[in-house]
Amino acid sequence: MAAVTDPIAAAPRRRADSHRGLVFILLAPVLAFFVVFNTIPLLWLLGLSFHNFSLTSGMPPEFVGFQNYYQLWLGRNNFWGDLSRTFTFVAVGVTIQTLLGVGLGLLFWGSRTMPGRRIALTLLFAPMVLTPVATGTFFRFIYDPNFGVLNQMIQGLGLPMVDFLGSPATAYWAVLAVDCWMWTPFMILMTLAALGSVPKAELEAAEIDRLPFRKRFTLVILHHGKFILMLGILLRVIDSFKTLDLIIPMTKGGPGQQTRLVAVELNKQAFESFNMGFSSAYAVYLLLVSIAMTSVFIFVLNLRRRRGS
Amino acid sequence: MARSTLISARNQLIMPRRRLLKGAAAFGAATLGAPFINRLHAQEAHPLAGQTIEMSILGIAGWLPSSLGVQMSPMFAEFAKERYGYDVSFTFAEAPFADLFQKAATSLATRSQEFNIIISDSQWLGALAQPGWIVQLNDIIAQNPELQVEWYSPIVVDTYMKYPDGSDQLWGLPQEGDTIALFLRQDMLDDPAEQQAFQEAHGMPLPRTFEEYENLTMADFEKVAAHFTRPDQNLYGTAMQYSRVYDFVSCYLYPFMWSQGGDIWNPDTGEVVGILNSDINATAMQQMKDWLKYQPPGATNFGIAEEVDVFTQGRVFSAFQWAAVGLSMIPESLQGKVLVVPPPKHGTGDSAGRIYTMGGQPWVLNAFNDDAHMRVGIDFLKWWYQPETAVEFARRGGNPADAATLNSPDFDTINPWNRAYKYMLTDGRSRDFWHHPKYAEMLALQQEGFSAFMTGQNEDAKAVLDYIACGQQQILADAGNAPMVPDMCYSTSL
Repeated sequence: MAAVTDPIAAAPRRRADSHRGLVFILLAPVLAFFVVFNTIPLLWLLGLSFHNFSLTSGMPPEFVGFQNYYQLWLGRNNFWGDLSRTFTFVAVGVTIQTLLGVGLGLLFWGSRTMPGRRIALTLLFAPMVLTPVATGTFFRFIYDPNFGVLNQMIQGLGLPMVDFLGSPATAYWAVLAVDCWMWTPFMILMTLAALGSVPKAELEAAEIDRLPFRKRFTLVILHHGKFILMLGILLRVIDSFKTLDLIIPMTKGGPGQQTRLVAVELNKQAFESFNMGFSSAYAVYLLLVSIAMTSVFIFVLNLRRRRGS
Repeated sequence: MARSTLISARNQLIMPRRRLLKGAAAFGAATLGAPFINRLHAQEAHPLAGQTIEMSILGIAGWLPSSLGVQMSPMFAEFAKERYGYDVSFTFAEAPFADLFQKAATSLATRSQEFNIIISDSQWLGALAQPGWIVQLNDIIAQNPELQVEWYSPIVVDTYMKYPDGSDQLWGLPQEGDTIALFLRQDMLDDPAEQQAFQEAHGMPLPRTFEEYENLTMADFEKVAAHFTRPDQNLYGTAMQYSRVYDFVSCYLYPFMWSQGGDIWNPDTGEVVGILNSDINATAMQQMKDWLKYQPPGATNFGIAEEVDVFTQGRVFSAFQWAAVGLSMIPESLQGKVLVVPPPKHGTGDSAGRIYTMGGQPWVLNAFNDDAHMRVGIDFLKWWYQPETAVEFARRGGNPADAATLNSPDFDTINPWNRAYKYMLTDGRSRDFWHHPKYAEMLALQQEGFSAFMTGQNEDAKAVLDYIACGQQQILADAGNAPMVPDMCYSTSL
């Protein structure tokens, strides 16, 4: 028996089908871009990570199974040392940037009538828009013990000269300070955005109720602005984990291995030593660590939101 | 009869004169036209005559000899037009020392002829030759007499041309020869007050001439460096390179090792453990570190540029520096005030030795060049080794490496550093290190280790050498060029 089609019911289905087609057509360029520039390279990277392949050997890739992963796990090239330095760099750096960013953001938010506020904000955001390589280069000059302006000031105060980037005791913290100088403005920006998302009525109500600042901050401001702040922190964590272009011009990872973060070593393995197999395994490890960190972060964020609701 | 005889005789006389005139005219025409005919012949003989070729050279950024190769290329364009009849223009790309190999390798790995001629560093020969990225030059040299140059010493061939070490395979030709020299402030040495003070303090005259420094040991030079170290006046005795960037600290530490009998590996077996981590080398590391007390603060970050800065700004009395940067070391303000001498010997007495590190770069040809670019590349090299080109290179501040130029009577006086450069280019006074394809990886590991020791991150020279030796042998073993590392290696760390 032939199926009887209800013309009234069929019309919306046709509209839905054509709508779906349009959606696919509109998405196709993005999907193609994603597949070509993201999925395929990622699969390629995964494949390479199971091979021994040096660009300068002239030999084809040789399948070695999990050997590259195993060597990293065993700590080849001081992998765990690099990871530990990187975690410290991320944790200390992002914490300082967040605390300073929130503090300065609140100050700017509370001084909307201050003359020159816009100019001050523009100047404050300048480090964030500078190229990290340029920033690293001029801070290398600023820190220079012989010609650097910082040491001139230190000596002007009658203090002894400090070899900021040449000494193992100071190099790591000198680089971290520059990272904070660069990225604290980003956290100020996120704080201002978070503060902008707080309903004015609630703030006014808190003011009328004469709530102390601490309570106003935790119950009103943080309650509404925490998502944007957490997003800022998440972005900073991911970005800080990849820090490379600041370190290369400043210390190249030295002295010794003092400022060798994972991205510095990965860059060295891939583009100086041309160990494409080993560096691919290295990159996969870092990808997994990044995913794990982001997942934990998002989980915590959602947990608080669920508790809040 | 007599008249006819006379006429006949006259005719006989006239005929030769005519012939003579004709012959002279023909000779004159041939003489005047010869260059054009020769040129026409040459142009016809050259397959690229009448064509326009664009060449690209990859060189080292901020490195004078490399830029001289580039600056002089318009001279080759004129030469090529005149000699071969084609037009050639050049484009240039450059990257700093530490990044040039990366730039070249990523291009060559895609079989690109983006860079037709490359100024390589000598240690990269293996890494460029092994994957077949550059042209082996044996046949080209055999076919072109202009490239059969007599080099100043065998180390020129060993450093800039050969890979593997000890083989007959030639892959590069010297673009710039280079050795370490000692740059001294002649004006300070000539100061009678300094001479008197030094004599009183050390009971010996202040060494002031090339010959005196030729026989000087590091122990004697330490007295000179200490004499001029006056932190209260912001003046220090000397400067060396300790930076972990590229090969800076390695090139300056090797002379301490080699000159006192140390070595870095066995190129035949690939063994590093037991050779690099020797007691001699551990002592050498400590000696180099001890020299920091005669150098300005921050010397642990000194590379080539930092040394130039402190020397030209009068912060140091002397500097161990590459002869290649002589022009930068002696700016106009210091002309006539700088003496360049061989760096001192290491050790004492008869056993004192002087083996410093070779610098300099070879030209290499991209193996993926098409026929036209390959041909022009070879023509360029033939022009580079013309005697007049070599002299012009020297006049502009470069260091040729061919025997004819270096042995010419006026070479020593062309530049203040030429005599010291030539002295150090002699066999047994300088040597190069690995040309192995794993060079970059071995170097990066070593730079980290040496830097860790020099900056005090690790105070134990022997432990640092153990770590480096094990790591390097592991790298070579992974590449199939060395035996597996011994068990002691599993406990080494930086």
